[in-house]
Amino acid sequence: MVSNRSSWPLLAGLVLLSACGGGEPTGQDTLNVPSTEDSTAQAERMRKTRNIFYNIPSPMETAALLKKAGAEYDKDILNDVQNVDKYTAASKQALNLGIYGADLSYASVNNQTQESMFFTSCAKKLADRLGVSNAFDDATLERMEKNMNNRDSLLSIISETYWTVDAYLKENERDNISALMIAGGWVEGLYIATQVSRVKATPELKQRIAEQKLSLHDLLGLMETYEGTDEALASVKADLTAIAALFEGVAEPAASAEVTQENGVALIGAASANTTLSDDQLRAITEKASTVRNAYIN
Amino acid sequence: MISVRTNFVRTALAGALFLFAVAAQAQCRSFAKNKCVPELAPYKFNESFNAAQLAPGEEAEVNLTFFSGQEYRVMVCTHPILGEVNWKLMDASNKILFESMADAPKRFFDLRMANTQQLKVHVWVPSKPKTDMVHVGCVAIMVGFKE
Repeated sequence: MVSNRSSWPLLAGLVLLSACGGGEPTGQDTLNVPSTEDSTAQAERMRKTRNIFYNIPSPMETAALLKKAGAEYDKDILNDVQNVDKYTAASKQALNLGIYGADLSYASVNNQTQESMFFTSCAKKLADRLGVSNAFDDATLERMEKNMNNRDSLLSIISETYWTVDAYLKENERDNISALMIAGGWVEGLYIATQVSRVKATPELKQRIAEQKLSLHDLLGLMETYEGTDEALASVKADLTAIAALFEGVAEPAASAEVTQENGVALIGAASANTTLSDDQLRAITEKASTVRNAYIN
Repeated sequence: MISVRTNFVRTALAGALFLFAVAAQAQCRSFAKNKCVPELAPYKFNESFNAAQLAPGEEAEVNLTFFSGQEYRVMVCTHPILGEVNWKLMDASNKILFESMADAPKRFFDLRMANTQQLKVHVWVPSKPKTDMVHVGCVAIMVGFKE
């Protein structure tokens, strides 16, 4: 007999799963595995993947930066949890795993516990459909349930889960799905930042949006390692390239290797070198981010 | 008959190598999670899995964006089988901001950014005298940030 105590988290998990969309989607296509790419391209990709990493700021890091910059929480801009069952194509599932992951981070950083749980169950559904259930199991949901009211623990579990899913995909040579998930998360982060800025464009928030030019450069670097191997990746890369074109005129923060000591910590650079956006640049980036993101969630 | 057997052996070897590679990567993840992430405290791990199995003589590099006003801990975590490695943190013009050499290793580097910049971490495993045994081990480049 299962004790009441141990069955509670499972019951709560079931309720959460039912809160996030309905049943299983009908039919599912798959994401191309780059089995047909020529050996030279594959060898080049392997070489780059092994020795050069592209570090894209995680959804949690972006959400924390946005909160510090004065971005307020707005649940209405996030992806509807009912959408989860619309994603039958593996590429859409991967993109929206990243999108729900970013929404989850944004909700959690802003102490929106109930919504965090809904986004978690959406992310879990998509992870299951992508065959990543090993990395995102029922035990994770149970731990989240138990730590619902402990923000730090909850953030730590979410971070660990994101990392485990990403690592699991990479370990199992499904880097293309990992890349789509990362791209989806980045686009959602930019979308949230630009939508929030429509209401309250603080100088700090505009600066954080401008700085996404650097992350986008790395994201495109990651995407380029898959050049010509996958239709979905090529399409996402085209979207990112279009966004990059709008960042073209944004002055990059000047690199400054000045190192000084401040309270035992090395201080790098000079504060005067920060960058920002013009209103026109912000408007154009906001529109493009919205178009791209809405195409991914619909 | 011989060619059938040869093909079978080759396929079995290829399969074994693949399984070994997957298992090694999984071990790398487990090592980074259990041994490296806790060492980032009190910084929050930035969730990026930058780890690889490296052998003596091999190198790895990661480009990182560090945001103004934020505090970070950069750490290179190496499996003991590999011994200490060399690593350095450089700015976009390759100027060295921090360096840790295998003969005088430093566990991590704490920094605060005055302005947002892209920096890169370059890791290289010192070459060792040629022996029959080549040690391959997990090297994880870890970044933590303060919320």
